[in-house]
Amino acid sequence: MGYRPRLAKRMLFNRRGSLIGAVLAVTIGILVIHVNFVIFQGLYDAIVRDIGDYRTGDIIVTDEDSFITRSDLAVASWFERNPSVEAVAPRLSASAEINITKGGRLIEETRVPIVGVDPYRDIRASTVHETISEGSYVFARNSVVLGTNVARDLGGAAVGDSVKVMIVDRWGEEQVRRLVVSGIASSPGGQGFDYTVVMHIDTLRDMMAREGETGSFMVRMADEGQAAAVRDLFLRSFPNDDFVAETIEEASEEQLQGFRSGIAMINMIGYFGMMSSAFAIVTIQMMIVNGKTREIGILRALGARRRDVLVIFIMQGMLIGAIGAGVGTAAGLSYTFYAKETKMSFNNSLPLEVSYDWAKILQTALTSFALAVVASLYPSYRATKLVPVEAMRAV
Amino acid sequence: MLRARGVTKSYGQDETRVTALRGASFDIRRGEFVLIVGASGSGKTTLLNMIGLLSSPTSGRVIIEGVDTTRLGSSGLAAFRNRRLGFVAQFANLLVDLTILENVMLPRQIAGGGWARGDRPRRDALELLRSVGLEAQAAQRANKVSGGQAQRAAIARGLINRPSIVLADEPTGNLDSVSSESVVRLMKDTARRLNQTFVVVTHDREYFGEVDRVITVSDGRVYEEEDDPRVAAATATAATRKREVLP
Repeated sequence: MGYRPRLAKRMLFNRRGSLIGAVLAVTIGILVIHVNFVIFQGLYDAIVRDIGDYRTGDIIVTDEDSFITRSDLAVASWFERNPSVEAVAPRLSASAEINITKGGRLIEETRVPIVGVDPYRDIRASTVHETISEGSYVFARNSVVLGTNVARDLGGAAVGDSVKVMIVDRWGEEQVRRLVVSGIASSPGGQGFDYTVVMHIDTLRDMMAREGETGSFMVRMADEGQAAAVRDLFLRSFPNDDFVAETIEEASEEQLQGFRSGIAMINMIGYFGMMSSAFAIVTIQMMIVNGKTREIGILRALGARRRDVLVIFIMQGMLIGAIGAGVGTAAGLSYTFYAKETKMSFNNSLPLEVSYDWAKILQTALTSFALAVVASLYPSYRATKLVPVEAMRAV
Repeated sequence: MLRARGVTKSYGQDETRVTALRGASFDIRRGEFVLIVGASGSGKTTLLNMIGLLSSPTSGRVIIEGVDTTRLGSSGLAAFRNRRLGFVAQFANLLVDLTILENVMLPRQIAGGGWARGDRPRRDALELLRSVGLEAQAAQRANKVSGGQAQRAAIARGLINRPSIVLADEPTGNLDSVSSESVVRLMKDTARRLNQTFVVVTHDREYFGEVDRVITVSDGRVYEEEDDPRVAAATATAATRKREVLP
């Protein structure tokens, strides 16, 4: 080892307090970024996950005219021929008035969102059925699943209760059906159908007088990376239809736009935190330079050039950056691992979608390393400005 | 070997201007053991800094081995100090983060090039440490040895690049009498053995006994021993003390 790296290392490691302080500054900067990522990106991804799982799948197909008239069998068959597609489920949406008589009292709710599903296809394409906390899904045509909040608003409707559902059909006529509550849906974080009523799609079609029509198809991909390609192929295959096919990101754009801005701001705060750690490094290195004035003078007297002194202190910055980036990344990964293994949830409800974004982890580590080196430039420059004869007086 | 011509050093400007050294001119020849003596604040350390190229003169020239050092830039001066000069300071000025051996090797490693590669700096440093009686302390951290041992290590460090001149600033100033005698003996032995030029600033002239020349600095002016009657008197006193200290 040359004398410069040796001196850089020894000067730093022999001042443990300074070393620990500088490394901690970098570590905390990185940890803040990792924690932000786990929580806010995890929350974002959890919302995207739930939107996909409950409402859109990986691709959602709608029609410019609100309803798809092509048979659901034809559309589903087209998709299911593609090996990248796992499942397809038709959906139909409306709003309804719903009432129940409990203890001789009529409880009524208006404008309740209602979703019609094909239960056998839906359980393959979505995870709504997994949110049924009591009872079962809408396998029978006269059954209905109430979202937990709807059930609460209906005075605590329970499985087996009978509810009356009124929908205005396409001709403006009120259609009323009495349906049996087969299940109550409650999703973690409330992103599922907690505020919605789910019924069999054929019953809803019948009530809406839209025989054979569908509101949307949610397509679940076996290979999510192929979503855009499959969407494009689908649109090319039905050039005469007015289909609108969007990937989950496109379909949720409006919903997620604000959230993304929030994440960007939080990340910026994280990077500001990292810059604060750079200032801490400047301060600590200035302390090291001030404490090593005599040594710098000796080195210069022995013939070290200004650039040798510069290199020694920049190497210290590199050491601080490397150790800090290593420790910070290890701490951040430990936190991420903990969050993933414990299925950490946001606000004790929505389980975070924790992932390891290796590109971002590497970028964070490299950024903090670079910041540490940049932060060492000024103290290093100051060190080179010491006049040997003056520096050697500082005994 | 070394020629100082009209070397003047002033600090400050106009009314606050202080002249620490006034037109110092003298020669030092190869192999000489030269003392620079004078009262505190007389300018002797300033003179040493000038000929040690640690500080540049306000006017005048310092020529070492034919090179007019006042014409050298910062990097040139650093390289010149490294290859041609050795330093021994009052407080040894070893780097406490390094071992004794690493301290001694340091000027060689700073020099770089062929003779700094491989095992050679280490072998040469160990040889020097053996010659100053510090082989056993080679692996010790510099702040773990006594003042006398540190000063011996500093002498070894000053010799590692086989410099033209070793400059020592109060090398005994921080040592007890036993260590001082030992360090002085080492310097004089080395000077004789290697025909090494030594220029030593000291208050403790009595420890040095007979030397080749004595330069006195008084109020910023430089006198050769024979020029200055005060020096002759001091030399006589020192000779008496030397007999007391070094029988």
